[in-house]
Amino acid sequence: MVSESETEGGILRFLATIDIRIVYFLLFVVVVGPLLYPIGMPISVSPDTVEFHDVIAEMGPDDIVLLHLGTEFSGWNELSAGSTASMRMLIEQGAKVAIISAHPEAISISPLLYNSLSDVMDANDYKYMEDTIDLGYMHPNEAAVASTASDFHGTVRTDYLGASIEGTFLDDINTAEDWSLIIDIQTGVQSAAMLNHYRVSYGAPIAKHCIGVSVPGAKADLDAELLVGVLPSLRGGAELETLIGAKGPGVAAMDAFSIAHYMLLIFVVLGNIGYFGYQRSASRRTTVGR
Amino acid sequence: MSMFFKRKDIQLTIVVLTFLVVFIPYFFNIPALDAFSKKLITIASLVNGFTLALAIHSQFRRASNQWRRKSRGYYWGAYMLICLIMMILFGIIGQESAPWHWVMFAVINPLSSVNYCILAFYLSGSAARAFRARSIQAFMLLAAGSIVLLYQAPLTGAVFPVIDPIALYLTNTFAVSVSRTIYLGLATASIVLGVRMLTGREVSFLGFAREE
Amino acid sequence: MASVLFEIPGMHSGRLFGLFLEVLIVVLALYYMTREKPPYIRRVAALDAIEEAIGRSTEMGKPVFFSYGIASRGFDLRTLIGISLLSHVARVCARNETQLIVPTGGSEGSYIVRPTVEETVKTAYTLEGKPELFDPDNIPFFSGQQYAYVGGYIGAMQRNPPGAVIACSHASEHMNIAETANAMGALTIMAPSSTGKTAVLATASDYLIFPEEAGAGAAYLSKEPSELASIRVQDILKWMAIALMIIGVIAATSGSDLINRLVST
Repeated sequence: MVSESETEGGILRFLATIDIRIVYFLLFVVVVGPLLYPIGMPISVSPDTVEFHDVIAEMGPDDIVLLHLGTEFSGWNELSAGSTASMRMLIEQGAKVAIISAHPEAISISPLLYNSLSDVMDANDYKYMEDTIDLGYMHPNEAAVASTASDFHGTVRTDYLGASIEGTFLDDINTAEDWSLIIDIQTGVQSAAMLNHYRVSYGAPIAKHCIGVSVPGAKADLDAELLVGVLPSLRGGAELETLIGAKGPGVAAMDAFSIAHYMLLIFVVLGNIGYFGYQRSASRRTTVGR
Repeated sequence: MSMFFKRKDIQLTIVVLTFLVVFIPYFFNIPALDAFSKKLITIASLVNGFTLALAIHSQFRRASNQWRRKSRGYYWGAYMLICLIMMILFGIIGQESAPWHWVMFAVINPLSSVNYCILAFYLSGSAARAFRARSIQAFMLLAAGSIVLLYQAPLTGAVFPVIDPIALYLTNTFAVSVSRTIYLGLATASIVLGVRMLTGREVSFLGFAREE
Repeated sequence: MASVLFEIPGMHSGRLFGLFLEVLIVVLALYYMTREKPPYIRRVAALDAIEEAIGRSTEMGKPVFFSYGIASRGFDLRTLIGISLLSHVARVCARNETQLIVPTGGSEGSYIVRPTVEETVKTAYTLEGKPELFDPDNIPFFSGQQYAYVGGYIGAMQRNPPGAVIACSHASEHMNIAETANAMGALTIMAPSSTGKTAVLATASDYLIFPEEAGAGAAYLSKEPSELASIRVQDILKWMAIALMIIGVIAATSGSDLINRLVST
């Protein structure tokens, strides 16, 4: 027999003690729905993204940029839009790009990056070994980062496939200060080491594209002039795509992104309505009843 | 000989000496010490690489113990070992080979992505279950969090631009200052912890337990 | 970046102020550690809850899960904090004969940390006079990859439901661990290592240990007068930082960059 205390409360009790599976199911629906059937909601561009864009826009054919891939496949889902848009800008502006992978999974990410931009590379006559080089995996400890910062050619002699980098545009790189810009694509792998050795020791400008959780810390570094730009997570990537007029997977995900955020807020509000309407009065009733 | 190096005082002496070798060249321009310090860090990273063998040994030992004892989920241990051996073989064959590509893009990429994306579900579950305004501070956190959540949705900024300056103020002022506060606290705690370690009061990092 | 006030020959530019602070902290810490009388240290509920959590697990006959993070940079600060707390937790678990499970792995740096962790836990059991209770399989190495480690961790929790989960210094997997532990009905004590996770874990866990409290955790739990005294140094530095900030704001507002240049020296 169901007791009175178990039946009272109604909708408020339901909201206060909502089954987590309902939350998961609704989240799944609101994320998958807009991905399958895009709505095309407008998006605004934040000042951080404009600042990041302006930093990359200054790069030209005489500049050599290091793309530091400190992400694994899991983080790549969040960072691919911004990374691809940044690389697209660099290709279209003719800047030379070297890629270093700071995570074992990132060595398989750089081919993904090149493949997604193969048409852009062809359209701009951007060639491997002449304009861009993939340097492969650099063991992500402080020693390796310090070593590449202080003596680049002493640490790196070949590209990812074993071909010598002698005679390429990387001949001009001896220490970290020779890089025109470092774009640090980060989920947290060696970001502190990059700041310590590249920025603090040699003053190399670093622009960071990081996952959402790392953004508060990155903004503190930006404020302290340790970074020259911060592109925050998937939203930043979508904004950058919008800015450069090359809408891609980032923009496509923004519908789901927006709706999921609103749904999260709705759950918080409903949960609090249930808390104030049922749980608090239930605990008072229990106390009075003793 | 090995017992000599296992002594706590010897290990502490090595710790203090290596600390000074790395600490001094950071502040003082001593090229010889700087070069030795970098060499030492490189040696440490190479040793780190060899400990991979210890990790693999641990996996084999644990899985075989589980199989022998037929403890709960023992067959998953065998499955894990088979995957481990397969992965090692594919890596030896070559990173440009088809099996390696298959493992990376058909197995590791989706599994890694799914595990990360599950975070979104955990976050919403946590928001629905536990994000309650139980006190004034919790209410303030809730209010600030709601504004930032609204701002983070790109549609909000496009439709209600008035929320941008408020959310930006919260993130660029409060959130950054709190970040700095936490880093400040963490930095001082770390140095004090370091002093306790160097003076031998905190020896857990050497594999010793605190003697009470 | 601001220019420096002055430079000392033979010293790297811009690091003098940092050296001064380091030396000051060391001197103060050594001074306080020689004092016999412990200063007043406020109660830290989250740290006190560790023993309560272990006691709860003992009564329920369930294991305690403790993790020190993924050690992505090997023996970095966050890992050391985790290991210092582990030492205390291991001794209490050994004393109570509660099973302690320490999942290891999560990064390439974790390989070198694991043997030390095993040794720490083994020594804790030996010092409590119960070496036979130590089982190296209770310190499982799950993977050198972050999310494979998380999968293993959560699987272990589901196969062996814990009474308490104490997780320090994790990366984004903190949330996975906290929510799964909650679903298992375990008491969760989380010690995040950065701002982004602090706010999130405040909602997801029962107790939250702030980063600086975690650094002082082992000293706090030891109840040794000299170590408790060393925690006072953190407070002194914070007051100094507040004073410097106020003076710096006044100086900057009045157009002087003296303080800015001083801290950049």
